[in-house]
Amino acid sequence: MAVLLIKNGYVYDPINGVDGERMDIAVKDGKIVEDVDEREARVIDASGMVVMPGGVDIHAHIAGAEVNAGRLLRPEDHVKDVEPRTAITRAGVGYSIPSTFTTGYRYTRMGYTTVMNPSMPPLEARHTHEELSDTPIIDKASYPLLGDSWFVLEFLSKDMIEECAAFVAWMMWATRGYAIKIVNPGGLETWGFGGNVRDLNDEVPHFGITPREIVRGLCKVNKLLNLPHTIHVHTNNLGVPGNCETTLKTLMCVEDLAEDGERAIHITHCQFSAFLGDDWATMESGAPLIARYMNRHSHATIDMGQVIFTDTTTMTADGPFQYGLHLLSGNKWINHDVETETSSGIVPFRYRRTSRVHATQWCIAQELALLIEDPWKIYLTTDHPNGGPFTSYPRIVSWLMSVKAREEELKRMNRRAVKRSVLPTIDREYSLYEIAVITRAGPARALGLENKGHLGVGADADIAVYPLNPEEVDPSRDYKLVRRAFSRAAYTIKSGEIVAKDGEIVKAPDGKTYWVDVKVPEDLWEAVKSEIAEVWEDYYTVRFSNYPLTDHYLKISSPITRQARM
Amino acid sequence: MATITLTPKYSFTVPVYAPCISPDSFAGKTLKEIGELEVWEGNRRKKLKQLFDIKGKTADTPEEITIKLSGNLWKVRRIGEEMTAGKILIDGDAGLHLGVKMRGGTITVKGNADSWLGSQMRGGTIEVMGNAKDYVGGAYRGSGVGMRGGTIIVHGNAGYDVGEWMRGGFIKIMGNVGAYTGVHMQGGTILVQGDSEGRIGALMKGGKIVLMGKIDSILPSFTIQDLKKRTKVEGEAVEGPFYVFIGDLTEDGSGKLFISKKSNPHLSFYERLI
Amino acid sequence: MRVVKDVVCPFCGCLCDDLELEIEGREVKAVRNACAVGEAKFLHYGKHERTRPMIRKNGELVEVSLDEAIRKAAEILAEAKYPVLFGWSSTSCEAVRVGLQLAEEVGAIIDHCSSVCHGPSVLAIQEVGLAGFTLGQSRHRFDLIIYWGSNPLDSHFRHFERYSTFSEGRFRPSISRRSITQFLSTLAERRIKRVTRRLLIKEREEGFYFGARRAPSGPFKERDRKLIVVDVRRTRAAKMADFFLQVKPNTDYEIIQALRMLIRDMELDVDEVAGIPVEVLEELADILVNAKVGVLYFGVGLTMSKGKHRNIEAAISLVRDLNARAKFHILPMRGHYNVTGADVVITWTTGYPYAVDLTQGYPRYNPGETSTIDVLLRDDCDAFLCIASDPVAHFPRRAVENMLKHPLIAIDPVVSATTLVADVVIPSAFSGIEVGGTAYRMDHVPITLKKVFEPPEGYLPDEEILKRILAEVRRIKGKAAEALVPAGA
Ligand code: SF4
Ligand SMILES: [Zn+2]
Repeated sequence: MAVLLIKNGYVYDPINGVDGERMDIAVKDGKIVEDVDEREARVIDASGMVVMPGGVDIHAHIAGAEVNAGRLLRPEDHVKDVEPRTAITRAGVGYSIPSTFTTGYRYTRMGYTTVMNPSMPPLEARHTHEELSDTPIIDKASYPLLGDSWFVLEFLSKDMIEECAAFVAWMMWATRGYAIKIVNPGGLETWGFGGNVRDLNDEVPHFGITPREIVRGLCKVNKLLNLPHTIHVHTNNLGVPGNCETTLKTLMCVEDLAEDGERAIHITHCQFSAFLGDDWATMESGAPLIARYMNRHSHATIDMGQVIFTDTTTMTADGPFQYGLHLLSGNKWINHDVETETSSGIVPFRYRRTSRVHATQWCIAQELALLIEDPWKIYLTTDHPNGGPFTSYPRIVSWLMSVKAREEELKRMNRRAVKRSVLPTIDREYSLYEIAVITRAGPARALGLENKGHLGVGADADIAVYPLNPEEVDPSRDYKLVRRAFSRAAYTIKSGEIVAKDGEIVKAPDGKTYWVDVKVPEDLWEAVKSEIAEVWEDYYTVRFSNYPLTDHYLKISSPITRQARM
Repeated sequence: MATITLTPKYSFTVPVYAPCISPDSFAGKTLKEIGELEVWEGNRRKKLKQLFDIKGKTADTPEEITIKLSGNLWKVRRIGEEMTAGKILIDGDAGLHLGVKMRGGTITVKGNADSWLGSQMRGGTIEVMGNAKDYVGGAYRGSGVGMRGGTIIVHGNAGYDVGEWMRGGFIKIMGNVGAYTGVHMQGGTILVQGDSEGRIGALMKGGKIVLMGKIDSILPSFTIQDLKKRTKVEGEAVEGPFYVFIGDLTEDGSGKLFISKKSNPHLSFYERLI
Repeated sequence: MRVVKDVVCPFCGCLCDDLELEIEGREVKAVRNACAVGEAKFLHYGKHERTRPMIRKNGELVEVSLDEAIRKAAEILAEAKYPVLFGWSSTSCEAVRVGLQLAEEVGAIIDHCSSVCHGPSVLAIQEVGLAGFTLGQSRHRFDLIIYWGSNPLDSHFRHFERYSTFSEGRFRPSISRRSITQFLSTLAERRIKRVTRRLLIKEREEGFYFGARRAPSGPFKERDRKLIVVDVRRTRAAKMADFFLQVKPNTDYEIIQALRMLIRDMELDVDEVAGIPVEVLEELADILVNAKVGVLYFGVGLTMSKGKHRNIEAAISLVRDLNARAKFHILPMRGHYNVTGADVVITWTTGYPYAVDLTQGYPRYNPGETSTIDVLLRDDCDAFLCIASDPVAHFPRRAVENMLKHPLIAIDPVVSATTLVADVVIPSAFSGIEVGGTAYRMDHVPITLKKVFEPPEGYLPDEEILKRILAEVRRIKGKAAEALVPAGA
């Protein structure tokens, strides 16, 4: 393994409180170490450059059944963006939904080294992991969709929290999953019959349970299982004007479940859940309300879900929402309901500057990031590819760092949307330190990834070096330089190896797949197992014994062991 | 006017992709430089001069350039891609994707043309003396964008899906056409002088198709609107009479079919509905 | 004797994973739960004539060592300017992944059987999308099932029992006795009786619900599940249908478009469509719009009828339109057991599902140009590798003629028309019996295949064979590259 010494860079390492100090980072055997012998080390001269931990993406759809269905649906997306093979890299295509290898390379070029794939239908987990093992370089993990699983609904409806926890623990193993993903709780089951739920207190037909009970129940399960991340929630009514209220109610419904300072919930791509208004004509930003709530509470985190004005492909497990989007846009539509568990939908979509709604959406995400005071509570995402491809992160960074950059955008946007937004009055500009928080340190901490997102001794040596001199460049003025720097890292180092240099891939090793191995009391599990095994064949079309994955599906399996609090 | 002649050095056995054969990429280059242009022969990267004898005189702007191709070009694809001006004359048959995304200038083919002739073209003229295969002026998979402008004239027959996803421009087929002429059409005009194999105008939302020859039946998703004596195509009158249908109603379309009454007496039962 | 449970049947797109095999030595003695096709395949597994490594020398196929056959295959591929790697739908995803690497390395077209069966479905999906689902949904929820141009009783026998008409589900606890009686009278097969008996017994066991707080309500309990069959001939399934529509060959498109008009409450100008009175279609449209949750399963009868992908596009649009009235789904009945897997793997690697041309170093896709049949008909390729497939027996004659003009490599466990005329034959292990790996059911559910027997000596898994060819190709190319560098440089 290589020994590296990254010298003289301006280091931004928020977890360790390092804010742009010039210092050296030593790497040995894939880890950050105190010091190395300079004569043995490969020295990287980072003077005049920014050094940060490798980027951590908390929510990007990069692999699995729905992503692949999106690829299948959109040959026209691929022809315009191709990656020819090189001696080191595999060929690929794709602008908004890149093929697996291309995905790995593009994240790497931007200095990102860990990506969370947020929606894995448990029944199709093999598919997700097969794709992830063909996604090189980056480390990754997936969140199984559990919010509408029949077993979960039934255990929760009978208040059998411990049993539910045992089942969820088994699911984490059976699917090699990392966190509990809840999408439109109750709505997906209802979508099986073409319906949806509209309120946290609506009852899910046939199950006698409400979305509120699902969210609260799984939140308790999450705690019992001592999972590294909180529940990861895509709210009810996503993409519907007026959903801001639902989002606030969802946040509130787990307030009492969080002990002091602890976190209980993550609301993902919050922008899509922060609309005020009664319909599209009156739709406006609810970001200030959500930001005010977030500023007063500490049990929740969110990610942005920024939209980019471009042609992209929307895909969520939220089947009814996607159908609505299809009706709204008239674009082609894929639906995929997964028995006993979940659903999903895919619709190509173009966000237009000239559209009042789309422009408002753009503003909402910016407002959330700028109005929430503590950057540790909000993380940078586009909900790739829903708001836009992940390759647009550098642009978002530049907007957050520069009022001028935002003004440039606002000038070209729908006038009415801009007029009604508070964004033009906000003069906050993110510092590089804060950018490091929302793009790596924050997500790593929220995910409970102890060795990611920082450069302290013992951390994984995942490092990004950006060609940007913070003493010479004023990000507020020269935002274009910032954008360029974050698009092409001068060096990306993954597990102590240089994998990209000046935006070119120089090495493509495999990345790890994290999953959570929770130990629950044996007898509890045995009891639950006999119960689920009994009805399994009536619920699923796949046999119980054929359902769980083997480790064969993970190139580098990296379990995180937890002891359940039972 | 400068003419450059290209003749294949041998008969190609695998596909040759040569989008560089266009007045635009030849303009301002010496013959030697033209010979250095890159083409693909199957999976091998080649230089144009390795595949073709290149002769003639060059010029600075595409407008002044005429490219003459002779010999068997059936395997040569994407000739004239995205050309904006000048001329290409093909003395024989042309391979797939001739003149795709073309914006201006003219292409003339003495023989036949393979599928995707002038697909997604925006301007200029293509004339084929022989037959053309499928997707004349069509789209590529999933794109939903076909021809948007320009003119394609085929003296012989054409295959399936003529003018697929067409949005503008004019296609004239002097012979017969396969099924699904004008499928998904949004705009523009197609004139077919021969017969149609059927399902004409399927899923069309706009535009106009004129059929002089026979057709077995009109899709049930069209409704008869009128019987007209004549119609205008590209400013010229075409004598009818024509049954005029509107559709495709399953796509809420308002495309128009002009179907010759004379060639299709079996459609006369529609008259009671007018 | 040993018994292996929950074996996955590697023969059709249903990918039943509940088979039980009784095994003695290298022979399968009994198969439980499978349909006649699956059962026969397992019982006869040991009786096939297996291939041997061979190379054609002076016009004769002669046996050689495996290494030599692999080397020869690699030479052919490394030399070829426009090779096609075809097959893939009856092997594991793991093999397809290596196949893709090989295709990139040699600069080839990679294509599979979609190209000749459900390729049109893919083209249609790319135009309009697809309202899909996994088969459990069909069993639990659907109250209307349509088979169009697909005869499940011949091609996907257990589709009926496991996933659709005769299956049970959470919201569909009762099955239609009427259909069963009808079923029994039309088919006297022992197997069917057994299946039916089991279902009838199950029906009596109420309390089927796993602890639901209240009994399920809604119409799904009482209502009969309706079966509609549309086909050009009166198939066995048609005899059991509540509604059978016999259409003239190649008129599906007109019928579907007419139905689309009717479900939109629009009037037709004509009295009959393709020979079918409009009243009949109206009746059918009525059933469609009155369903709560429905599905349309279509087979090659629709994809290969005149209009091909346009038929599917219309069918998908019909289903999409129906979603304004009810929940409606559509699914292609894929034939080969892992044709879906081949689609899936090739898509995540290249962005496109089949007919992917990697000759220029990046994926290009244009069925009609890059699809195997079209490549062969235009006589474009100069070498052909065929894996776990028998194109010589199934392709059109002119395509086969062109294929045989150039070197042909066949990788197959058993002797077939293709291995007999190939220039290089590489024997392989049976995937799904002698090797495990992953396959995707027709509804995209991935399932791990079971290894039941050790392959015989000298029969490697496809994945392994391809890896060796790939290594050999790299060696040859490496040498060629070295040769270009002048000595001493
Ligand atoms: S239906 Fe298909 S998968 Fe199932 S047993 Fe029969 S052949 Fe095998
Ligand atoms: Zn998402």
